[in-house]
Amino acid sequence: MRTRRLTELALLTAAALIVFIIELRIPNILPIPVKLGLANIFTVYAVYRYPAKDVSLLVFTRIALGTLFSGNFSAIIYSMAGAVLCLVGMLLIKRVIPINYLWLCSIIGALLHNTAQIAVAVLLTGTPAVLVYYPVLIAAGCIAGLFTGLCAQYMLNRLMPHNKDQEVQK
Amino acid sequence: MTKGVKLCIAAVAALFVGSVIACVILFKPSASRYIEIVQDGKVIQTVDLANADDQTFRIEAPDGGWNEVVIESGTVRISDADCPDHTCIKTGVLRSESVPIVCLPHKLVIRYCDGNGGEQ
Repeated sequence: MRTRRLTELALLTAAALIVFIIELRIPNILPIPVKLGLANIFTVYAVYRYPAKDVSLLVFTRIALGTLFSGNFSAIIYSMAGAVLCLVGMLLIKRVIPINYLWLCSIIGALLHNTAQIAVAVLLTGTPAVLVYYPVLIAAGCIAGLFTGLCAQYMLNRLMPHNKDQEVQK
Repeated sequence: MTKGVKLCIAAVAALFVGSVIACVILFKPSASRYIEIVQDGKVIQTVDLANADDQTFRIEAPDGGWNEVVIESGTVRISDADCPDHTCIKTGVLRSESVPIVCLPHKLVIRYCDGNGGEQ
């Protein structure tokens, strides 16, 4: 891996971790454990900027360190399942969705993330009743995915100025 | 806008609308006035909310944890617990039949049941 690439990925991972830790501090006022998943901004961005191998490296480093910092080790299986399905899904859907519809890719990623998490919840707890929350998670995933996707889109437009022309032509 | 993008937007929009409708249906308030408290699959208590006095009581889990159940003016909620996630407290007042108050760490479920006390 070139030094430049390594540095960029390290910077993105660090930024994602900071955002992740700040988000942990925001109290959840909703009755169900839903989050915006702000750290995903960097994942979506990386999906469109770097090869699959590098994005996976970024995501797994972020989760491993994030788990370490948050101290919530029981959550790692949820985070991992969510991240893996989200990542695989986004890497595949990236072939269909061009870069100026990145927010759409982010929504699909968020939906897959929530799907994986609820599947793990059903398997781990053995209570299919958890599935009642699935529609809530889908609706929440659409909103959260759109938000993080738009953030990533603006970030991308700032960091890759040549992409602006495409954006205008749309 | 390519065909793939249009398809994805349509699919996501349909999912969103569908899930919002599902939420509204699933979370509509229950007409029943009887609730049952289930611990580890066994009904340990049935309460007629319409006639119950306001009360607070503690349910001990077999493995040492506890949940504090509050019944007041025909509603039931868990006000305090020593579980790590506090999902049961955040669920708030029991409203819908399809969404019970669940405390997974203590295997405790509070849900609406059919009339006549629901004894089994």
